[in-house]
Amino acid sequence: MHEISLVQGLLDQLHSIARENNAKQVLRVTMIIGPLSGVVVESFEFGFDILSRQDDLVRDAKLEIIIPEVTYRCSNCGQEEVTSRARPAQCAKCGDRILIATQGDDLILRQVEME
Amino acid sequence: MCDVCGCHTHSHGDKHDHSHSHGHSHSHDESVIVDINRSLFAANDAMARSNREHFDTEKIVAINLISSPGSGKTTLLEHTIDRIGKEINIGVIEGDIETDRDAARIRAKGVPAIQLTTGGACHLDASMIHRGFHQLQKEPGGDKIDLLVIENVGNLVCPATFDLGEHRRVVLVSVPEGPDKPAKYPKAFTTSQVFLITKTDLLPYFDFPVPEATREALELNPSLEVMAFSATSGEGFDIWLDYLRDLVKTVRGKQPA
Ligand SMILES: Nc1nc2c(ncn2[C@@H]2O[C@H](COP(=O)(O)OP(=O)(O)O)[C@@H](O)[C@H]2O)c(=O)[nH]1
Ligand SMILES: [Mg+2]
Ligand SMILES: [Zn+2]
Ligand SMILES: [Zn+2]
Repeated sequence: MHEISLVQGLLDQLHSIARENNAKQVLRVTMIIGPLSGVVVESFEFGFDILSRQDDLVRDAKLEIIIPEVTYRCSNCGQEEVTSRARPAQCAKCGDRILIATQGDDLILRQVEME
Repeated sequence: MCDVCGCHTHSHGDKHDHSHSHGHSHSHDESVIVDINRSLFAANDAMARSNREHFDTEKIVAINLISSPGSGKTTLLEHTIDRIGKEINIGVIEGDIETDRDAARIRAKGVPAIQLTTGGACHLDASMIHRGFHQLQKEPGGDKIDLLVIENVGNLVCPATFDLGEHRRVVLVSVPEGPDKPAKYPKAFTTSQVFLITKTDLLPYFDFPVPEATREALELNPSLEVMAFSATSGEGFDIWLDYLRDLVKTVRGKQPA
């Protein structure tokens, strides 16, 4: 459950962002969580739920999560497959099994709405 | 306080409270939307970079051992120390379990070792290594380390996400665990440079097709170096020792004299 420590880091950032913008309340937090980031979305949501309850600034904040697609490129023929689901077992065109993922490992605080 | 790695720069984050008042007040409940686009890994990654720079200036090679509990990380270390401890000065940061047992096993070999207290955390992060490394340097022999080995918490999931500032990440799977670990825990394999299949002395008793496990790992990460050995019988272990000798040599070779 490293998601808890990542959520703690998020809350720390939200506090300094709110301070910089003279905001009293965070209304909405938008995160980008790549499918290869090693972060389990449900665990992240759970951690946010638990930790935000104990925090006046974010207690009523809504967490929005964007899961981007990953592009898998075949190392043999260059065929690309774009998916938000599990890694394809093999290249759809030539059957090669070495597929290189590009991006998808991000964990990004995208946007904050506050007042 | 440390003047070698510049760690004082990391600790005053809360001091400079730059209040950008943007000219308009938000007193009448009007909300603002601000684009941030900042990685939540950024803080750890920055600390990891500073660890790596610190290791580089001290001419130290750092490796990070990742595996499930019981794959043989501590045993690997003990046998490595027995075999090459005289030619390469090894230092160890133990992060695996709360008790001092693993660190005590290493210290018994005359090698500087410290135990991190992780509070039950499921992974190590770069700031724990930063603190641990300073602590290690104060141990007897801690000032002349060539090879720093970090034994991560026994877990194939969480440690894969945190760069510690290591030069090489090494993932271990032991024969009794079965060959499907790469498929089940891909990130540990895509972020590592070395894959060790351990306890090969047990191959007669378990269904572990080494070529298949190797192939699956290479499909995820074609540049992975794969080695299979038994620390206890010594079979295949020389390949690992030669790998470490080369690693220490190459990383040293890149440093300005
Ligand atoms: N048969 C066999 N057992 C091993 C080998 N390496 C480690 N073990 C045993 O596996 C168990 C766990 O090893 P340990 O090094 O503590 O694993 P760690 O949790 O990854 O540090 C111990 O009982 C070791 O004696 C090996 O090469 N062969
Ligand atoms: Mg251990
Ligand atoms: Zn975890
Ligand atoms: Zn193809």
